[in-house]
This record gives sequence, C-alpha cells and structure tokens, in this order.
Amino acid sequence: MFNIAGKAYAINVITPVRPWLAGVNRFFLWLVRTPCFRYLLKGLKTLSLIHYARWVVIDRKAFPHLSAEQPREDLRYSYMMFFSNFNGSWDQYIDSFTFTIPKGLDLIWKWNVRYSKSVPLTPFHRYIHYNQIETLHYYSAYPLASSNDVKSAQAVRDALVAFPAQFKNDADFLQQYNALLRGLQHDLGDMYPGTIISMAAYQADRRRRWHAGTLDKQSGQARR
Amino acid sequence: MANKTGNAYGLITLSPIRRGVLEEGVEFVDKVRDILQDWNFRDNSPMSQVPETYLCRYFVLDDVFTQSLPGGSAPDTIRDFWPFGPGTSLPHEDHLQSAYLVFCCSLYGGPNGNVEGYLKGMWTAMSEDIKSIWKYCYGFEQVNDANSFMVYMKKCQMKTSLFFVGANDAPLAEQLKGLYLKQELARFAIDNQGLDAATLRANFTAFMARVNPENLTTPTWTPGMYRIGQSS
Repeated sequence: MFNIAGKAYAINVITPVRPWLAGVNRFFLWLVRTPCFRYLLKGLKTLSLIHYARWVVIDRKAFPHLSAEQPREDLRYSYMMFFSNFNGSWDQYIDSFTFTIPKGLDLIWKWNVRYSKSVPLTPFHRYIHYNQIETLHYYSAYPLASSNDVKSAQAVRDALVAFPAQFKNDADFLQQYNALLRGLQHDLGDMYPGTIISMAAYQADRRRRWHAGTLDKQSGQARR
Repeated sequence: MANKTGNAYGLITLSPIRRGVLEEGVEFVDKVRDILQDWNFRDNSPMSQVPETYLCRYFVLDDVFTQSLPGGSAPDTIRDFWPFGPGTSLPHEDHLQSAYLVFCCSLYGGPNGNVEGYLKGMWTAMSEDIKSIWKYCYGFEQVNDANSFMVYMKKCQMKTSLFFVGANDAPLAEQLKGLYLKQELARFAIDNQGLDAATLRANFTAFMARVNPENLTTPTWTPGMYRIGQSS
C-alpha cells in the first residue's frame, strides 16, 4: 500500500450507481459548482486539509474500449469514482467529512447503490473502506507541505515580492519589517516530514534517509 | 468544463490492461503492479520530472465491488420492499472484463487547460517508464512519440464531474518557490530576533538577495523533495 506521499494521503473510492440515476448524480455534481449552490462545498474549504479532490461518474458503457481484441464491458451499473489528496490520517479525513458536510456528502452519494449515509459514522466508515482501492504509486511535488502550507506560501511570496526595496532610514525599515511579519504571522512556520501514520510513511522516511545518505549506515544493507 | 477549476486541471485516464502471461508466469496486470511499486524505491518518482505535476497516483482497478452492505438511501429502501419483478432485492453482481491502469493527476493546466501539452511533456520526461507499464495495455502499440501518446491518453480520459481545488491553482514553480520562501523567512525571523535596526536591515538585505523572491528558477524547492536542504 502506497497511499501516502509525505503529508498527503491518496484515497480512491469506486461505487456503483443505478444507470438511470447516473444522470441525476452528475446533475447534482454540476449543481454544487454553480454560484447559487457553491455554499454546499463551503465545508470542504473550511476543512482546509484537501489539496485536490474530484468525483467522476462513468456510464456503464463508457469505459474505454481501445482495441478489437479487448472484450467489451457488460456492466449493470454505472460507477462513481472519488479521488482525494488530503493531509492527515484516513480516520481524521472521513470523520471531518461527516462532521462538516454531511448534507453535501449525502447529496452527492445518495444515488449510489447501498450508500449508508454519512451519519452515523461507523456505517459510513465501513462503506468507504469497503469500496476503497489502494494506490500503487503516489507522487506529491511537495511531500513536506500540507495544503495550508501551499496556500500560505503564496501569501509569503506575494508579500516578499511587494516588500519595498528602499527605506528612508533604519527606523523606517524596522517598521516595514515588523509590519511584514505581523501580516504573515499566520503564514509562517517550519515544514518538516509528517508523523508516521502508516507503512507507506515508513517508506517515505526510508527514502528520506536514503537521500540523506544514512540508510546504508543504519541498516547495514544494500539499497532497496 | 468540469476537468478544470481555475488554472488547475484534473486528469484521469483508464487504460485497459491486456490479458496475458509473461514467460516467467507473471500475468500482465501483476507485472504492471510490480513496476509501479518498484517506482516507490527509487531516489524519487519519475513523475517528479514531469513539469507542472502537483500530485498524481497510479493504481490498478481489477474489478468493481459488489455491494452487500446495508444501505440507507431511498432507492435502496424502495428496492428492498419492491414486490414486483424478478430476482432478489440484493444488488446485482458486476464484473469488469479487463483490469484498468488508472492514472489520476492534478496539474497546472493554465487558463486554457492545456492537458495536451502536459501529456507531451510527460512523454518527453519519462517515455521509457511510460512504455514499461503502458505496453501491457490495449491500444498502446500505436504509441511511438509524444503526439501519439497524447492522442492515446485522450482516448483513455474520463471526464471529471466535479473537481475541487483546496490548495491553489498557481504554476508549480510558483508553489515551490513560495514554499521555499516560507521556510526561509520563518528561519530568518527566528534567527534575527532582538537585533538592532541597522543590523537587521543589513541581514534582511542580504537575505532578500540570497532568496531572490522573483526568481522562480533558483533558489527554490525541487519537485518531490523529501528533505529540507534539497533546494536547487
């Protein structure tokens, strides 16, 4: 299982949708993108632990068919796939979903066969876990950073680019410098590798030691 | 277009894996799985060489799941008590005819969602790795350059219904430079506490000359780095 790349966790969930409800499902996914109903996703923004997430509804006859040799799919259901890149553990993520956007979740998933509803929590955990597929290879361009780090980093860069280059005197500089730090006090902070929460994070740590050139010394074994 | 939100683009492809067995008795689908897992033991992912990749994943979709757990939605309840028609109230059992290699990627596509350019760049950066896994997929025999790879992947692409951007949609170089600056400025602020204004000004001037906030190329974080100090 390689669901983890540094601070990011990759979750993949595939669930069946009755074909005659796939269009309805897709409609509601479109609806929450519109200005009037975007508030339903406000909870997702508030969670602030997601890098990127997506829902994909695939009609039962829309699976790619690329060659005459390839057998055609003969499915009774359409399928909805859910992918997310988030910070923290699986439990934290699923629990956060349930507690912040239960209605939004139900609106999106209720068209799926045997969906448990997001509340109560235990059946929802079981539903997601049952339909989850493990990732084989997961890459993050910034494994040391959380989603909030990426957002705050933009604020830091913008502030530094806008920082004046000329000052009347040292006192003027000090005033500007203090204002800079005061304005960025919520955006600064050291970034370190996250805590180990699974075997995949162990692999990430192993890779980190490899980079540092300490892996061979510690294990006394060849790389790999 | 649901594939993109702002400048961020959500690419997902499903490539059907051929049925077959290698000479050593390993099925194609297992070989694909082995190769992808081996990538985890390299110095860094080959995807770190592909420009504008925020995050991406690979997995094999062997089959779909039969839903045997109790459900709570209205259609389930109606179906459970529906007295007419053949069969049982239990959901049908579906099975895929092929396993699929799933590639799911969040990337910077720009205002026009330039996924074509991204896919061509992906081929340029890691064509040997691409061939090593996709050669077990149906239809890949027609791929021999960046353009044909792009055309092939577009055939495999599934349309995203909802793409949520929780971080930001800036170009990757801007994101990495921002992270570098965030780390460096935090350290600077800690190391220079309590200094008099003249010394602090001199140190900060030197700091700004060193970190060069407007230069996205250097110094900055390298894509996929797992350790502070790997800045380029």
